[in-house]
Amino acid sequence: MKRYRLIDRVLVGVALLLLWQLGSWLLGTYWLSTPWLTISRFCTSTWSGEMLRHAGYTIEEAALGAIIGAVPAIILPFALRRMPTVVAVLDPFMMGGYGAPKLALAPLFILWFGIGIESKIAVVASIVFFIEYFSTLSGVRQLDAKLVQMAQLVGASERQVARHVVFPSAVPNIFAGLRISLPIGIAVAVVTELISSNRGLGYLVQIGAMNFDVTQVFAALLGATILVLAVGYAVDGTERVLLRWRPPADSQQQQLGTA
Amino acid sequence: MAPPFLEIRNLAKRFPTRQGREPSPWVIRDLSFAVGEGEFVTLIGPSGSGKTTLLNMIAQIDVANDGQILFSGDAIAVSDPKSLRPGLDRRVGYVTQDDNLLPWRTTIDNVLFPLEVQGRLDDKTRAHAETLVKAVGLSGYERYYPHELSGGMRKRTSLIRTLVYDPPVILMDEPFAAVDAQTRAQLQEDLLRLWEMGRKTIIFVTHDIAEAIALGDRTLVLTKQPTRIGAEHKIPFRRPRNVKDIFALEGFASVYETIRAEIQ
Repeated sequence: MKRYRLIDRVLVGVALLLLWQLGSWLLGTYWLSTPWLTISRFCTSTWSGEMLRHAGYTIEEAALGAIIGAVPAIILPFALRRMPTVVAVLDPFMMGGYGAPKLALAPLFILWFGIGIESKIAVVASIVFFIEYFSTLSGVRQLDAKLVQMAQLVGASERQVARHVVFPSAVPNIFAGLRISLPIGIAVAVVTELISSNRGLGYLVQIGAMNFDVTQVFAALLGATILVLAVGYAVDGTERVLLRWRPPADSQQQQLGTA
Repeated sequence: MAPPFLEIRNLAKRFPTRQGREPSPWVIRDLSFAVGEGEFVTLIGPSGSGKTTLLNMIAQIDVANDGQILFSGDAIAVSDPKSLRPGLDRRVGYVTQDDNLLPWRTTIDNVLFPLEVQGRLDDKTRAHAETLVKAVGLSGYERYYPHELSGGMRKRTSLIRTLVYDPPVILMDEPFAAVDAQTRAQLQEDLLRLWEMGRKTIIFVTHDIAEAIALGDRTLVLTKQPTRIGAEHKIPFRRPRNVKDIFALEGFASVYETIRAEIQ
């Protein structure tokens, strides 16, 4: 099964590259760069350190934004577990925050925090926070009351119940949230850089477009895509190790039909 | 005369009335019985007779509306939800109908869980836990997660998770109802063997007449709602018993028939 999947993937990849190549033949490399030009530019740019430097800024923004957004978003549902009224009061506001187009806040954040790293961190944090909050909240809500009761019966204190029952049972949901919000966080950092910045992968894209250097745009996008993929794999791998205890039926593997 | 080890006096229960409705009927009313130390009592009754509710009240995870529960003569608060103490400070162990194993813990870590939260995990208690794991045939499965175990294995795990911290009273709520007949017979033998090792006080709820007779020193038959104790039978068979042969013993058939008539 696994080997066939690899072969299939290579085939799909080659087909997409061919399609891309075909497009650039039809439209000309001025409008649509070729895969080869993109990859060689990506490599030279990485070799010279330029790509890595800009990717580093983007990673820094996304990472700080993710931490500032995710940590309170994970803590809050646990802290409010015993206060359903507070959760209910907060709910419409959280929903509003979740639904609001946070990218549209970017100009505001740039106005407040400047065009430096702070405004990007703010946008990333505002997006990661709401996704992670609802994800963790549903984990805390899905808690099996019978497991809590069992723990109390054998003498667990409130604190021990939180640590040994409530938290582990919410971990799958925490990860579900991270798997969605972290890649989005990187993408959002890049997009925010497009709006206004003097560094980062989004800045590279912007400069490339301004100079009619389509190859640079593509190379920068390739860098961003690799970053997003790497984060996705890192989250998946950590999850697989931490959630070995889950029955295969609800684990990620089975959902993807790969087990 | 010393007061009985555990006594239930005129216990009554009705579920909260929903607004604008007639008062809900009594589920349990005037239910009284006493259990001696080291006694194995089986409770049998028609389904819906509030057996689980009764155990929940004794385990202090549900309130009673009236009546008393006494431990060696000391009454414990039963009607105020705020003063309930689940498990009565570890004096009452409860093997529930569902195994309620923590899915993120392996077999051995589930068994050790009570010791861990009670701060009693040391070399001696750990060795005791390992002995129990062996005694119920779970050797080799210590590092398996619950979803990797069969239903019978999970039952055994949940059984020894309660035995491991040695509560003086153990409540069991149809613990073997969800497994097939063969596994059940095996689990019954395991239970009796473990019980012979320590002779805890056990209140065992079941809807299986043969099981009630095979395991108990005494069988209490519950009535239909509102539930109380309808009849009581001393089970005359010698111990240690062989669960598989119990049907052939003289007197089994007559007790069985009597209880069957009482339940209907």
